[in-house]
Amino acid sequence: MSTLPTLSPQTKGTRRRRKVEPVKIFSFITLVVTTFLMLLPLFFMVSTSLKSKREMLKFPPTFLPESWQWSNYTEIFDTLQFGTLYKNSLIIAGLSVVGTLISSALVAYGFARFRGKGNQLWFILLLSTMMLPYPAIMIPQFVLFSQMNWIDTFLPLIVPAFFGSAYNIFLLRQFFSTLPEELFDAGRIDGCGEIRMWATIALPLSKPALATVAIFAFIYNWNDLLTPVLYLSSSEKFTLPVGMASLTSSRFRIPPWHLLMVASVLAMVPIVTLFAVAQKQFVEGIVLTGIK
Amino acid sequence: MNKNRKSSALVLATTMLVVLALSGCSGGKSAGNALSEGNGGSTNSGGKAETVTITHYTIDSEDRTFVEKLIPDFEKQHPSIKVKVEKAPYEQFDSKLQTLIAGGKSPDVTSHWGYGGFAEYYNKDMLLDLTDLIKEDGFKAADYNIPENLMNIYKVKDHTYGIPVNMYVTLMLYNKDMFDAANLTYPTSDYEDKNWTFEKMVDQAKQMTLVSDDIAKTQYGVDFTWSERDMRPLFFGAQPYSEDTWTNGGVPSETYFDSPEVIAAYNKLFDLVFKDKVSPSSEWSKSVAGQNGDPFVAGKIGMSIGGSWNLAGANDFPFKIGVAAVPWGGNDKVRSTLYVDPLLILKDSKHPKEAFEWIKYLITTEVQEKSIELSGGNPPVNTEAAEAYYKHFDGIDPQDIKNVYEGAVKYGFESYNHLITNYSQINDMFINELQPVETGHKTVEEVMTTIQKKVTEIIHR
Repeated sequence: MSTLPTLSPQTKGTRRRRKVEPVKIFSFITLVVTTFLMLLPLFFMVSTSLKSKREMLKFPPTFLPESWQWSNYTEIFDTLQFGTLYKNSLIIAGLSVVGTLISSALVAYGFARFRGKGNQLWFILLLSTMMLPYPAIMIPQFVLFSQMNWIDTFLPLIVPAFFGSAYNIFLLRQFFSTLPEELFDAGRIDGCGEIRMWATIALPLSKPALATVAIFAFIYNWNDLLTPVLYLSSSEKFTLPVGMASLTSSRFRIPPWHLLMVASVLAMVPIVTLFAVAQKQFVEGIVLTGIK
Repeated sequence: MNKNRKSSALVLATTMLVVLALSGCSGGKSAGNALSEGNGGSTNSGGKAETVTITHYTIDSEDRTFVEKLIPDFEKQHPSIKVKVEKAPYEQFDSKLQTLIAGGKSPDVTSHWGYGGFAEYYNKDMLLDLTDLIKEDGFKAADYNIPENLMNIYKVKDHTYGIPVNMYVTLMLYNKDMFDAANLTYPTSDYEDKNWTFEKMVDQAKQMTLVSDDIAKTQYGVDFTWSERDMRPLFFGAQPYSEDTWTNGGVPSETYFDSPEVIAAYNKLFDLVFKDKVSPSSEWSKSVAGQNGDPFVAGKIGMSIGGSWNLAGANDFPFKIGVAAVPWGGNDKVRSTLYVDPLLILKDSKHPKEAFEWIKYLITTEVQEKSIELSGGNPPVNTEAAEAYYKHFDGIDPQDIKNVYEGAVKYGFESYNHLITNYSQINDMFINELQPVETGHKTVEEVMTTIQKKVTEIIHR
């Protein structure tokens, strides 16, 4: 999913006068070929999602379905309680994004704007939490949440997001540090408090960074399998990855790949949508900072 | 500054509250359930006898979660016991189980349905010794038509740790269409037929093999996936682990992977691919059927030796199939691997007695018969219910399946993965170390010394 660089005004003006260079043709062809290669698995995913169970087993595989099984897209809702899984995943990933954005942006703002004793030490401590792999904290965390009686609820999957994550804090801190001090001075003269400056100056200027964090957080939580597996045990609370993993869970049956592909196609939709929306934010952010 | 900090704390606290409330709504009902059921379910129902909730932990796939449908009947018969099914996908089965136990939320009943085997559970001290429960209850395997030799599999030093529930065996599936095209007679399902040997199988396979430049036309005679890699020498009569392995909780005192017999056995197997060229290479299988797929299902293999779970998909195969005995490979006692899944009670179970009631219910003839249908063809351990299992598959003669099952039990050996400690590590090591042999880059002789050294290390970990 690469984005093509937008032409800056300088190159736009000179483009007409230039002749078509062979290097450009070459790079254009390379781009087309790579794009094609990148899209091939995606194409097979969509194509398999429309095949019948029998056709999916065929070798060599058919490029396009012999008979188009649009019914696969309704069948998935019967076999997997797909609607429930989708809703659960959206709730968890959505609220986690909100949580991550609020908490990480607040903490990052603190680290970027305030100087205090041991500031650097705290920051290093925060970053060092990134070195801890999840399995290392898995059991203590489970014991903690289990004592709080949070097992089989969404809480262990959502609440931790409201306590920030080291990587996102780091990313946002670096961005906030680049904001010119003059803007905040101006705010201070106008009588802004720190929270107001955070909300009305720092955040609107950081849309590209926030969009990045939002995408990271969403993708991470949308795809997360291990945490929901650990904390959820009733089927009606399962998330999409858990349901999809269960489709291939049987050691004794041929997995219904065609249905799994349907699920994958549908699971891609929110991520693609989010990316499309956030991409606009990226560009807008660049334009805004450019003008100022 | 101070004021600002206060207000930021206030903002954070408010957002936290809002979110807690929101997420509470989405999972609120269940939080209530978790409260009443999670703590061992010691809630009073109607002020009478105390109701106990037990958890059955299983894989989240249709052939395992069918037990949910058996619960209402059980609860009717046992009003004071409630059963809750907890599940995880296959890949995460072990990690969730470990976390549940470590977190003090141990399920009551489960089996080794993940990667780890019985011996691993036993050596980690996860299992409850059922001997006293059995004695107290007057439980007799014969009442449930469970053969005594199957009961012995999960005994360690005369203590019983598991009650068998399902039994898979090794069998041969063959593609009748390919046999017809090559004008060959179908292989026998009779284990006593002395003509049905490994050599005869290779001979028939040669007549069905067709290697062509066009990958779509290529087909092979036989795919020999008899059990896990470390167990395969046993088929030819070579012994990879010392005898004491089976009596002392799965820790062999010696292993013989670099012995001439074991090396010869592996060579015989790899000859199928590299010398006789009647079996597909692992790369070819992967290219035809994907990472974990089976080229037999794609109709490219004449005979496939594997676990009887392959039968479960039989009704979907795009060709006619038959079931045959595993040929004789040189071991007079062992020709089939048995995969007997036991029901286990975990040591941390708070209600072992009630858990045992549930186990007994699951192995009654009636429930085992029902389970075959509900699971889509799980083979029962109950010999009476097995009759219904033999008739379950369309287009396959029930007598053939019966012959193969009975022969397999007679000439069967319980799968090593259930009996040897740290088995998931041993298995991973075998897959990695044998890889260069499977691709033809190394010889069996070259890798066996390393394997012998590594197996010893893993066992004594």
